[in-house]
Amino acid sequence: MPKQSLLGLFEKADPAADAMDSFNEAGFKLGSFDVLTGTPYPEGAFGEHVPQHRLFRFPAFGAIIGFTLAIFLTAGTQIAYPLVTGGKPILSIFAMLIIMYEMTMLSGVLATVVGIIFESRLPNLDPGVYDKRITEGMIGVVITLDDDSRKKDAEDILKKSGAFEVKYS
Amino acid sequence: MIKNPTVEMTDEKHLPQANVPFDQIAKDLVRTTTHGGKTIRRVSIILGVLSIVGIVALIVKLITQRDDSTQWGYVAALVSFLLTVGGGAPMVAIAPVLAKANWVRPITRISAIFSLTGIATLIMTIPLLVVLPPLVVDGTRRRSIWFEGPNFSPHVWDYIGILGLIITGLALFYTAAIPDFAVMRDHTTGWRKRVGRILSRGWIGSNSQWRTLRMRIGMFGTFYFLILIFVHFLFSSDFAMGIVPGWRDAIFPMYHSITSLQGGLAAVIASLWFIRRYFKLEKYIHIDQFWSLSRLLFATTLLWIYFFYSAFIVFWYGRGGADKAWIDLLVRGSKEGIGPMGWVFIFAGIFIFIAPWWWLIWNSVRRSINGPIIAASLILIGIMLDRVRIFVTAWSVPTEHIHDKYLMIIPQTSLPSGLDIMIIIGGICIGLLPILVISRVIPVVSIWEMQQFNLLSKPVKYMKTHGVLVAKPD
Repeated sequence: MPKQSLLGLFEKADPAADAMDSFNEAGFKLGSFDVLTGTPYPEGAFGEHVPQHRLFRFPAFGAIIGFTLAIFLTAGTQIAYPLVTGGKPILSIFAMLIIMYEMTMLSGVLATVVGIIFESRLPNLDPGVYDKRITEGMIGVVITLDDDSRKKDAEDILKKSGAFEVKYS
Repeated sequence: MIKNPTVEMTDEKHLPQANVPFDQIAKDLVRTTTHGGKTIRRVSIILGVLSIVGIVALIVKLITQRDDSTQWGYVAALVSFLLTVGGGAPMVAIAPVLAKANWVRPITRISAIFSLTGIATLIMTIPLLVVLPPLVVDGTRRRSIWFEGPNFSPHVWDYIGILGLIITGLALFYTAAIPDFAVMRDHTTGWRKRVGRILSRGWIGSNSQWRTLRMRIGMFGTFYFLILIFVHFLFSSDFAMGIVPGWRDAIFPMYHSITSLQGGLAAVIASLWFIRRYFKLEKYIHIDQFWSLSRLLFATTLLWIYFFYSAFIVFWYGRGGADKAWIDLLVRGSKEGIGPMGWVFIFAGIFIFIAPWWWLIWNSVRRSINGPIIAASLILIGIMLDRVRIFVTAWSVPTEHIHDKYLMIIPQTSLPSGLDIMIIIGGICIGLLPILVISRVIPVVSIWEMQQFNLLSKPVKYMKTHGVLVAKPD
């Protein structure tokens, strides 16, 4: 049985938050229901489940890799071609700093771009049930069900909470 | 008669920005992508032709004057101008966004769009790298930030740095534009809908999508700031200071960076004023944006004189051979009296500092819509003159003298040739063209930011005056 999504459309934010609460109280799995909005509401405004993310790890790992490579590059070339300049040590940190900074930054940026591709779930090839009125200010509450057994319950919750329309995938 | 201050506060300038319904915001702003189609098409064609002329002139110059670096000062000035203004503009919105300022929301898109000028910077930098002398000339290594680095270190690392800045700027712009591409997908037809569908990449506005969007904007904004300052350090060191013998100045890279923030602010104010009038966006771009930006512009204008004077006083008081040569080359433009570049310096100072300082010092000017644009226009002209003063004089030093202890002979002022003028006009057009084109694809004011502006702020009556109640929940 393929998964099925229901989308309830609300004119106001408060009833949509009530629908989210009702899904939670009715025992629907956390993460199976979500709110769709055209603008970012403050985090937790709908009492929604806040999923874990690993986005901060990507720039951190990228920066560490870039920094390490820069140390290898600068130290390696200076050790391979040891030229004493102005009585300074062969491995002079200030001479290496520019390349270390640049490689750290660039690798951090590139890793962030890669991280976004993974963490943003974009491109979203199967967006499921959606309504373009969401980008006009309507609030959508979407629930994804594994089977038909609780479809009626979900629909009732959406309607009782004040959804003026319910759509199915 | 003593005026009642509460009565004064209710004048038009203090009336809060009215809330606009969400669907109206989407309709109004989507409409800007089709507004003035014929005029914008005509202007785009003109910019396109001038851009091609500029590129052809650049190629001709590269073929005919490749061996004479002294002829490339105006191209270097142009690249510096593009990097200063186009690179600094995205920064205008980043700091207030990170500080969760509400007034900045209507300007985030237009400031991020300036990262597209990076395309012009990248194109114009290529021939400059070809003519930039290597670190070792005639067996002698010149003083630079690269110490004993490989001969073409500035060429490689500077270009990678500029590329990194542009990638980060474009990533910042695109990231923040995804929800609006979804609006274009949902509310337009034809090619705009197709472009919106491709670039929105399945955006539906789920909770996790908004969360990651916020984080991405924060991350790219921080990266952008860190790379911008670094690129200014590299560019000013390698393309100006490093090719003038005896010019050692720890403040100059910072001076170059601070004028970038000033230039960025000026460019954003000018474009904001233009789009407000042209696209009739009075409902969305209010006096508050101009007021806030003009205060920042005033602050950076004062910083210009602070940084210039801090550098100048060291050379003036030092009085060594290298110090005198610096003043003769970059301030007076001549060993005796005031040379042509000395006059350029004087006019640059008037346009960047004296005139805008005197203009912006008045509260009534800063608290207006038409006041800041005058200061912004003066500053943009002044920055171009200042870049000419710095880079044309720096590049006028012949290659055989760049590893001397200091400059013994002040070179003749290099005047712009026909090719230089075509390159400068073409380069600025290449910078402007993508901005104009993108205004046909996506609104120049962010739809979702404006909707959030309305979501989080509410005009309220407070005793006998008005105010805006702003929620700052996260």
